[in-house]
Amino acid sequence: MRANFPVRLGPAEESLIAQLKAAGATQAAERITVAGLPTRRVESYHYTDLKTLLRSIPPLATAANEASAPALRIPGAYTLMIANGVIQNASTAPAGVIVGKADGGVLTTRDDVMVHVNNALANSALTLTLENTVDPVIQVERRVEGEAAHVADALKIFVADNATTTIIETFSGSDAAHVGNHATYLALGKNAVVTHITVDLSARAATHFATNEYHLADGAKLRTLVIHLGAGLSRTNVFPTMGGADAHADITGLNLVSDGQHADITMETHHAVPHTSSQPLFKSISRGRSKAIVQGKLVVARDAQKTDAKFMHQGLMLSDEAEILSKPELEIYADDVVCGHGSTCGKLDEDSLFYLLSRGIPKAEAETMLVRGFIAELLDPVEDSELNEALQGIVDGWLLGGK
Amino acid sequence: MTTPVLEIRNLHARIEEREILKGVNLIIPPGQVHAIMGRNGSGKSTLSYVLAGKEDYEVTEGEILLNGENILEMEPDERAAAGLFLAFQYPIEIPGVATMTFLKAAINAQRKARGEDELKTPDFMRMVKEAGAQLNVDSEMLKRPLNVGFSGGEKKRAEIMQMALLKPSLAVLDETDSGLDIDALQVVSKGVNALRDGQRSMLVITHYQRLLNHIVPDVVHVFSDGRIVESGDKDLALQLEAKGYADFDGQAA
Repeated sequence: MRANFPVRLGPAEESLIAQLKAAGATQAAERITVAGLPTRRVESYHYTDLKTLLRSIPPLATAANEASAPALRIPGAYTLMIANGVIQNASTAPAGVIVGKADGGVLTTRDDVMVHVNNALANSALTLTLENTVDPVIQVERRVEGEAAHVADALKIFVADNATTTIIETFSGSDAAHVGNHATYLALGKNAVVTHITVDLSARAATHFATNEYHLADGAKLRTLVIHLGAGLSRTNVFPTMGGADAHADITGLNLVSDGQHADITMETHHAVPHTSSQPLFKSISRGRSKAIVQGKLVVARDAQKTDAKFMHQGLMLSDEAEILSKPELEIYADDVVCGHGSTCGKLDEDSLFYLLSRGIPKAEAETMLVRGFIAELLDPVEDSELNEALQGIVDGWLLGGK
Repeated sequence: MTTPVLEIRNLHARIEEREILKGVNLIIPPGQVHAIMGRNGSGKSTLSYVLAGKEDYEVTEGEILLNGENILEMEPDERAAAGLFLAFQYPIEIPGVATMTFLKAAINAQRKARGEDELKTPDFMRMVKEAGAQLNVDSEMLKRPLNVGFSGGEKKRAEIMQMALLKPSLAVLDETDSGLDIDALQVVSKGVNALRDGQRSMLVITHYQRLLNHIVPDVVHVFSDGRIVESGDKDLALQLEAKGYADFDGQAA
């Protein structure tokens, strides 16, 4: 069929195909040649039609000569950097952290264009092996610097059995029409306890793509938090696999979108074995003419009895033109599970606002308090106080700036 | 003559197309406690919301003067800074907003509006601790999000504690007794009475005489169909309790 009706390829697709071919990724190039970038007819890109949204792809990045200021400083953190795909590692790693390098292609192959492109173009991956509990927060700064560039980079993290750690990745760079495509694969050993946070702080001109893949062994506990607030167009794929009994994941995310922005968090969690649980909780705040999307799919394998999972997305609209889209999906093959989903959307509660006003708090401040309160459920569980404060600062900066 | 703390002149207000206040007149001199009694639906709570400036209500006629100043054009936060406090019948639960953060924001916003310096944190902590001790509001309650998970009694105690911290010149207590058992009623009343200082005025809205045994009013008004139909001393409340509201219906015609 497709052979008879070839898709019309736009400039973004043409550049992408050329880049993939040059990298020797003929299969990935062929896939885009045949199908093009996903349109709204592709279910997983229904609200993020890349064919329309992605006008062009800049040239592949070369090593950066200069760097912008760090987007986020967390006192006491151990920091590593990947700039324009090049791994930079200056400081000494804390005890138990082994830093290394491996071939790219860290993501499990699946039918997703961001995954194909990253696996094809990310030449090398930064690897972190955490042999035991690591006290300092680990920060991986991922940057795209210089002229507009297309960057595919990769990070692979192994957390040993019984180890505890907190990892934050920040995405930032120069103010240019970059396309960043970032991959993170994180494997949690038995009873490992991991907090993994990714924050997009890219410039508004940039496009931010990220895929976070997780694999949890028996008894592992994961808390994830995706924050979108920088790029004009952002999409983060969150793909956890609950692969061991008693594994639990709190999968959270926050879209903060202002006028002209489009942010999409797409989650697909696989409950692969019996007795696992997940609590996906997402929030979106939209102001001006902007669009925030959360797609959340829970897949429960046939043998994964006693799965306990509930997806929730709460939207807060601060303007009449704001758009918040929610798509929960359940795909359940087991027959003894507790799974659910819920979505809510609304404006700030007027009774709450009146209560704060009646105590003398001016309207703008009262609104900020309520929005902070709305987000608190996502930030409060971040235990490291310096990190928590840094995240609160980012959110406050968004609340107090712009429209 | 001293300026009354509150003077309401021929106040008419409606919500959507329905007129609820139909010509309220009321004067409360400094230091006095006035009670408004009336059956459910008579417009008592509407009066409290209109005083505080809730958006849903439209004032079609009349004036509200707070310490001689017309407050009708003021936003709710400006009215609060001008000295008005409303103790809510149903205090709102606000998840995610810490009680201490809220109290500090409220106190400092009012101070700022009046051109005073913001409170320093140690002074603020001391104030809250003292006010809390009076009203059995412990540090455990203060750590929780605003009113979240508070029992009915805890919410009302927290309201009175806010009043003690904000030191209004006029406090409007809307059905503060509702949902309180007798012990809680005593704690709350004690807290309210401690704030009677000969200057601060209060408007106590209730439909049970019970509260007025604890907070003894100087004047009692009977509210019916959107206006005050009878005023008297505290014995009027006892008459009402004995005879019900029926006798007062239609008196103002």
